[in-house]
Amino acid sequence: MNALRVEDLNVHYGTIHAVQGVSFSVNEGEIVSIVGSNGAGKSTIMWTLAGVVASSGGIVEILGSPLPSKPNEVVARGLALVPERRRLFSALTVEENLIMGAYLRKNDQKVKDEMQRCFQLFPILRERLKQRSGTLSGGEQQMLAISRALMGNPKILLLDEPTLGLAPLIVETVMETILRIRKEGMTVLLVEQNATRALEISDRGYILEAGRFLKSGPGPELARDPEIQKAYLGG
Amino acid sequence: MFLQTLITGLSIGGIYALMAVGYSLVFSVLNFSNFAHGAVIMLGAYVGLALATKLSLGFGLVLAGSIAGAGIIAVLNERLAYSSLRRRKAPSLYLMISAMGCAVFLENLVYATIGSRFYAFPEFFGRQVVTLGGSSISLLDVGAFLFALAAILGLHLFINRTRTGIAIRAGVSDMTMCSLMGVDLDRLIAIVFLLAGGFAGVAGVFLGVKYLVYPTMGWVTNKAYIAAVIGGLGSLPGALVGGLLLGIVETFVSTYVSSVLRDVFSFSMLIAFLIWRPNGLLGRDSEEKV
Repeated sequence: MNALRVEDLNVHYGTIHAVQGVSFSVNEGEIVSIVGSNGAGKSTIMWTLAGVVASSGGIVEILGSPLPSKPNEVVARGLALVPERRRLFSALTVEENLIMGAYLRKNDQKVKDEMQRCFQLFPILRERLKQRSGTLSGGEQQMLAISRALMGNPKILLLDEPTLGLAPLIVETVMETILRIRKEGMTVLLVEQNATRALEISDRGYILEAGRFLKSGPGPELARDPEIQKAYLGG
Repeated sequence: MFLQTLITGLSIGGIYALMAVGYSLVFSVLNFSNFAHGAVIMLGAYVGLALATKLSLGFGLVLAGSIAGAGIIAVLNERLAYSSLRRRKAPSLYLMISAMGCAVFLENLVYATIGSRFYAFPEFFGRQVVTLGGSSISLLDVGAFLFALAAILGLHLFINRTRTGIAIRAGVSDMTMCSLMGVDLDRLIAIVFLLAGGFAGVAGVFLGVKYLVYPTMGWVTNKAYIAAVIGGLGSLPGALVGGLLLGIVETFVSTYVSSVLRDVFSFSMLIAFLIWRPNGLLGRDSEEKV
């Protein structure tokens, strides 16, 4: 079954036609990447899927039913977004950020178990638990942002530029984490500007340019495509 | 004399703090000064007055009724006057103008229906005083101060310890992300207004019992605004400290300098803070609040 199905999606910001008739799907358990340059509309697609930005046309289905119109209802359907630049609750502690991630889960024991799972993925968070999240390093903040999204036990995880501004070693940690949670059954939609690594770990990839898809195909194949390498992968 | 002045200052300061807390809560979540807060305080006082005079209820029930009444009025106020602006992501100036409109409307509604008469609450406590160190201290003043302190402490615990409280602080930090955690923002904001309104109800009853009930009594929230700025807009401990400080300063100026100069002093303090310390005593230096 399609975890996500998007058909002829259009999004306008005032007079700007940011997403122009995009169609794609993500199957359950897949990692799919959307790659493209700055301003191509990648983040807009993500915010639309999360219910924050309203589309101006097209169909979006999540796990077989139409996308609800409010973000909190989309979350309740099992979709979580880790937005660009993380957007942590910087005045809150690490622990409070994680608690917020599990806001819809009423079973305290499940929340505690989920927190333990996050500590297994990112042991450093356990040490930082009582620290204000705004004081974490960039890499730690990204780990917390991913953990916060996982706390809600989503079925679909949307990651917008999860490696932006991170040191190479941390980038590798993040990529390995994505593979690991997919192995546990997660469906992942990944947006990246610097795309070689993203395409390599993806089952399928889409190339977005000025609001439209130029090309799609298996991730590793796209990563090796000379034309794409020249245009998007810096080499 | 000194002790008596101090206690009076603390009790007025406690009422300022109760009002400032409501201001600060709404400000920190929606980022605008809710000028209708004074009108909600006034209506809360009228609710309390009606319960006390028409139904002859005791002080506890009057207070509870006023908290509930003002809380509901504050939620309705948000639903009718702010929510549509909020959903359209209107600039906070629009919300502020809408709030001023509400204040004028509600005041005139009271003029048109209840009238401009000044009303007094029945004497709940008589004029009970205790004599301490040669000065007589009103029990009402001590009670008002202690109740304000307890209520604000309770709110502080709620904001910091409960799931809903954490969600309110998360919303202060980033509204959009808060909704992406599954929080229904309309519901969360309704809770914030219910809390702010509840505190307005307490302030309204205390003001009414200490002074009188009349349509423009809500303008005393100017002082709550000053208190909130002194303490740091958006900070709950700041609202408490700012309120108490302002109450004490005002009472001492009235007693030892001149009661005519009292408000000159208060507003000078506001201006001084806005120029030299716009984040207040306890406000954070960054843009983060609560």
